[in-house]
Amino acid sequence: MSEMQEVKIDQTRDSYYQMRHSSGLQVFVLPKPESHSTYAVFGTRYGSIDNVFRRSDEKEVTRVPAGIAHYLEHKMFENQDGVDTFARYAKTGANANAYTSFDKTCYLFSCSSHFYDSLEILLDFVQHPYFTEQTVQKEQGIIGQEIRMYDDDPMWKVLFNMLGAMYQTHPVKEDIAGTVESIAEITPELLYQCYHTFYNLNNMALCIAGNADPVKVVELCDKMLKPSEDVHVERIFAKEPPEILKARVCQKGSVATPVFYFGFKEDASRRPTTAETVQTDILLEALSGDISPLFRRLLDAGLINESSFSGNYFEGPGYACVIFSGESKNPDAVAAEIQKELASVRRNGFDPALFADAQKAVYGDAVSNFNSPELLANSMITSYFAGRSIADAVSAAANATAEDLQKRMQVQLLPQNAVLSIIEP
Amino acid sequence: MNKIEQQVLQDGIHFRSVQDTKFKTFRLSVNFLLPLKKETAAANALIPFLLSRCSREYPDFTQMSRKLASLYGASLGSNVGKLGSMQVLTISAGAIADHYALQGEKLTAELTRVLCGAIFDPALENGLFRENDFRQEQRQTLEQIDAEYNDKPSYALKRCVEIMCANEPYGISRYGSREDVQKLTSRQVTAAWKDMLRTARVEILAVGNLHPAPIAGALQEAFGKIERAYRPVTETHTFHRLGEIPRVTEYQDVVQGKMVLGMRVAVSQSNQEELVPAARLMNTIFGGTPNGKLFLNVREKMSLCYYCGSGYHAASGLLFVQSGVEFANMAKAEKAILEQLQAVQNGEFTEDDIAAAKRSMINNYQTVGDSLVALEGWYLAQSLLPKVQTPEEYAEKVHAVGRDEIVQTAKGVQLDAVYCLKGQKEAAAK
Repeated sequence: MSEMQEVKIDQTRDSYYQMRHSSGLQVFVLPKPESHSTYAVFGTRYGSIDNVFRRSDEKEVTRVPAGIAHYLEHKMFENQDGVDTFARYAKTGANANAYTSFDKTCYLFSCSSHFYDSLEILLDFVQHPYFTEQTVQKEQGIIGQEIRMYDDDPMWKVLFNMLGAMYQTHPVKEDIAGTVESIAEITPELLYQCYHTFYNLNNMALCIAGNADPVKVVELCDKMLKPSEDVHVERIFAKEPPEILKARVCQKGSVATPVFYFGFKEDASRRPTTAETVQTDILLEALSGDISPLFRRLLDAGLINESSFSGNYFEGPGYACVIFSGESKNPDAVAAEIQKELASVRRNGFDPALFADAQKAVYGDAVSNFNSPELLANSMITSYFAGRSIADAVSAAANATAEDLQKRMQVQLLPQNAVLSIIEP
Repeated sequence: MNKIEQQVLQDGIHFRSVQDTKFKTFRLSVNFLLPLKKETAAANALIPFLLSRCSREYPDFTQMSRKLASLYGASLGSNVGKLGSMQVLTISAGAIADHYALQGEKLTAELTRVLCGAIFDPALENGLFRENDFRQEQRQTLEQIDAEYNDKPSYALKRCVEIMCANEPYGISRYGSREDVQKLTSRQVTAAWKDMLRTARVEILAVGNLHPAPIAGALQEAFGKIERAYRPVTETHTFHRLGEIPRVTEYQDVVQGKMVLGMRVAVSQSNQEELVPAARLMNTIFGGTPNGKLFLNVREKMSLCYYCGSGYHAASGLLFVQSGVEFANMAKAEKAILEQLQAVQNGEFTEDDIAAAKRSMINNYQTVGDSLVALEGWYLAQSLLPKVQTPEEYAEKVHAVGRDEIVQTAKGVQLDAVYCLKGQKEAAAK
């Protein structure tokens, strides 16, 4: 077994421990001995975009229905002995949950006592799939209702309309839960096939933050984990052209005020580094945060409100975009103002004092993130799957320069790549 | 380790601190508690938003934001909430602890000064909130009210509360009504601000990685300059419905229906308060978690709802069951939910169910101390009770509850309103 390696974060005086467990699983533990709570997340690099793939021990390419990763997540909570996983956690008092995103599926719990008992449940149930024709059938009703619930969420619709206009082939444009039609094709055999392909420990990570001892965690891993065969998966995506499909998409919906997503597609042939994501955060703070001249102009013109307007970086395997979103009586005017501001910042750069304040704000956020075991465990798993590290984020914020921001703007927020999506009453 | 201190700054002004160096940050919040009344709700609701926008020293939104960013992304926030029959107006501030500032800046002292400036020394013109600031915040509040329409599960809950509590303070929206917000003037809000400083009950909380004494001192001094005329409010809650319970169905362009069942719980913080821990356990067994009867039966076994869960408001003695249901299944789902309630009332739950519910609740209480926002919420709610308890003390009480008390509180639960949100097509078909 390989050694546990300590990684120190000097600015916040925290450390975490990482190791590749002999079973193939990557393990991270960030101990917070003064915390009452502990948060654990056991996840696989397998999300809604992974519908076409080839295993390293097979020749054939496999295609599976949209929404299957999410379906699988639901079905993992049922066990052969008929005892639901939530009922098992009820015996330890942990709060358990799971989620499926575009690029990963995660099972998690938080607790204030009996941590190792709960961790044993987590490691056990995720390694033991059990599906039958009957139980798989039954889930179609529940997931069908979940899909319909999202249909009624205007913020969800406005996002997917934007992604649909931005991406020509990439599956990020498809709903995470799939469609009522696609999930009707799901069978126990398909679920087992996806499970055995993606729930290979070499493709997974366990991240823990809080009141936990790394040595004990590894001991439990030794006891619970069955070594996985060294199979790797190649995910196959059709080539995504750099151009967007449509610059504007508008739909009627059940909203009182129009809501919008205004996104800028960018090259996503490789994942951005930790430093690059932090630089984008500073860029967004200076460009469109509370402190920015743009935010003020939009506010004074009555075009946005403080509670809904924000700028975010959204990225994953093969997709990346900066998104401005919010409510506005006139989203087109907001988009035009953003484009105007971008052109001006590209020409003139940022005021150095504004840059300094933006940098301090992002540094403060990076330090604050170390408060929460939940945030830390989720950041560790996201960073690991993306090839980044939470240890570098704080220093990256302290070391960023105004030139770095200009460099980011050479590859992101390009005017010709913008898509405006609107849901209006 | 954490250290809790409390002191009375003046009659009706309490300062409470939880000092804990495990946090990288700290938070301060000044909470003004006023009786929830239709005539004053809208003007009161605008106050925290106007105060946190700017101050005399940082006289516009951008200058205030720049000041906060330079304090390492400090926040100055505002919120309006309801606690029983009180309206709670909150102005809060937070930042990283002094220790983590890169150049030794005194962030706590500086942020306390900014917060006091916002509350006591706002940017006024001729003694009134400036018209432009007022218009901006009025517009944003109206947009907040409109935005509640977009989130269907919360919209349905809000409508059920309004319908069920139409003649009680709790039925008043925390922002006041849209019409009342629209009619406001800067003069009215300025008067409401002065009235709030003079008469409200004030609960100040300072939590996290900080030293409380200088903060308490600064606030003591600031309140010392106000001529206080404190008006204590006592919670009196009696309601008896005469006649049929209200049933309202509304139609919107939605694909999935939402159904909210509003219920009265005899036990509340103002009635048989000693049974509140039992009522909370009853709610947990009924529908408070994914291990509750509602989730396991109505969702998992019967596949009737995508979500189905219950929440109990101890301050007001109300319980709401929220669910996402196909239009065609609503009657069936209502019946199923009421059957689960009946089962709890009949004591149809095992010792294991009780133990699991206790573990889940105790787990939540034990983790309050790990989150500054949770700590604030906890001590704010506690401040209304005759005796303030720590989450650990409360966990002990929950641990001691017996089966009979759970059944007893369940028997005091009664359906009191039904709200359904359905699709337009359903309406057209009628």
